[in-house]
Amino acid sequence: MTFLQALAYFFRQACSNLVRSWKISLLAILTIAVSVFLGGVFLTVGNNLRFLADEWRAESRLMVYLATEADDEAVADVQRLLHEVVAPGDVQLVGPDQAEQRFRNAFPQLGDLLEGWGEQPLPASLEVTADLDSKTGTELGPWLERLEAHPSVQMVDDDREWLGRLHAIILVLEGVAAVIGLILIVTAVFTISSVIRLTAYLYQDEIAVMRLVGATEFYIRGPFYAEGLLQGLGGGLVAISGLLAGHRFLFQDPEASSLLTSVLAENFLSWPELLMLLVLGGAAGLVGAVLSLRRESLGQTAETEWVGNED
Amino acid sequence: MIELHQVTKRYPGGQVGLDQVSLKIPKGQLVFLTGASGAGKTTLLKLIYREEMASEGYILVNGRNVSSLPANKVPYLRRTIGVVFQSFRLIPRKTVFENVSYLPNLLGLDHKEQKKLAYETLRQVGLAHRMNAFPMQLSGGEQQRVAVARALINKPDILLADEPTGNLDPELSEEILKLFLEINLQGTTVVFATHDRELIARVGRRCLTLHQGRLARDLELPGRMLPESAALSSEEALSGEAVLGEEGPST
Repeated sequence: MTFLQALAYFFRQACSNLVRSWKISLLAILTIAVSVFLGGVFLTVGNNLRFLADEWRAESRLMVYLATEADDEAVADVQRLLHEVVAPGDVQLVGPDQAEQRFRNAFPQLGDLLEGWGEQPLPASLEVTADLDSKTGTELGPWLERLEAHPSVQMVDDDREWLGRLHAIILVLEGVAAVIGLILIVTAVFTISSVIRLTAYLYQDEIAVMRLVGATEFYIRGPFYAEGLLQGLGGGLVAISGLLAGHRFLFQDPEASSLLTSVLAENFLSWPELLMLLVLGGAAGLVGAVLSLRRESLGQTAETEWVGNED
Repeated sequence: MIELHQVTKRYPGGQVGLDQVSLKIPKGQLVFLTGASGAGKTTLLKLIYREEMASEGYILVNGRNVSSLPANKVPYLRRTIGVVFQSFRLIPRKTVFENVSYLPNLLGLDHKEQKKLAYETLRQVGLAHRMNAFPMQLSGGEQQRVAVARALINKPDILLADEPTGNLDPELSEEILKLFLEINLQGTTVVFATHDRELIARVGRRCLTLHQGRLARDLELPGRMLPESAALSSEEALSGEAVLGEEGPST
């Protein structure tokens, strides 16, 4: 028998096994599907969180709020301090009027808050748009401390601080997701392993006959490996269908997107990622089958089923 | 063809299945293997097709030491040995054709070739017309014929039969015996384990008698009737020397 003939036989037999014990096969497929689906959700959320964090990072600013009594010379002094690290083009002076206008544009319903604070309720500021993280080799900490300590500076607001915290949260979430995903996959592998073992038990009479007539272990085990693989791939396909359907449901109205839908479904998984999930499902099935058919668990003799003929 | 040299088989727990058995079965011979239950008949057969490993001694099948055969070579040995059991060991959910076609299938023969081979082999055992039947639709004798066909389909050099008539009435037993005689006439070495002395008496041939794991007797019987004197008492069988003498069993 050629290798291709053997493969064809394995998958034919595997399909026959799946049909014969469809209930337990369905259980195995659904277990894999749940694991891969949740893996896909974690991956999507992780991707979208990272995407959002990158977007926010691109828009991040260092705002240096100036003291109200700061005169032009003091502002120039602060600007000189800023130019030690960032190019002059990356620093923009935002006057009190401009700040008020920005606030009213950003929060139209909160405009009333600015009433009754005199002519200039918001302080002037220096806005730094440069990507400070790219300033490698520069000691930003002491520089920021000097900025904060400057007598003409009221407050320094660095977006990178909360973005850093968000990044840490994403890392923790990814770690937790990886652990949960691993547990789910291990559960799926053991479910498949049990299902395959049960199938092997159902076919032990046939396995014994095959051993008797001279079938090799490869020939005997092949259909079970194929069965595990098919169950895994089946579970992967179900999971991917669920992910596609979920994405479609959450993102059916892009106009009505919220932060939650953005995190869950702003960007769907790429084709390579979907393929990876499918392969993960298949691999889990195959590993489950291999584990279930360790030498001691398949019955190594041609005597598996029939006893009572011993002399 | 088949040689056992000082073969002992001890099972875990210390039970001795075979004890220092030596014998030779030439190519093309039909040999009866007899003895009471527990005498070691099945153990001897299992050692030949490497279902069991000898604890001591060695076994040659077609000049090949099966005791030292690596596990991955055992399937190839078994393709040259057909085995038939008392319980038939047919798969009830498979048709007669499928039951006999395991080996052709694993050898990669296409469906047409498998069908042709199965038909020819089933014709040999008189069951070509039942190819599409399921085992449960067959009589005991027919089921055993299917089992024989499965064992014969690869034209093995050796056919081992472990109490093949044990589940059959005397008429069907005779039919099966005749079938084995026909197979033997075509050159296949046959080892036929049975405790049915009547059956052996009808055809004669070489008869190996095992008692408590030892080869107690190795006789060429004339046929038609098993001599009363050849029936072993326990004491005779235990010593074995009354027949075997000091030189051991003769063939």
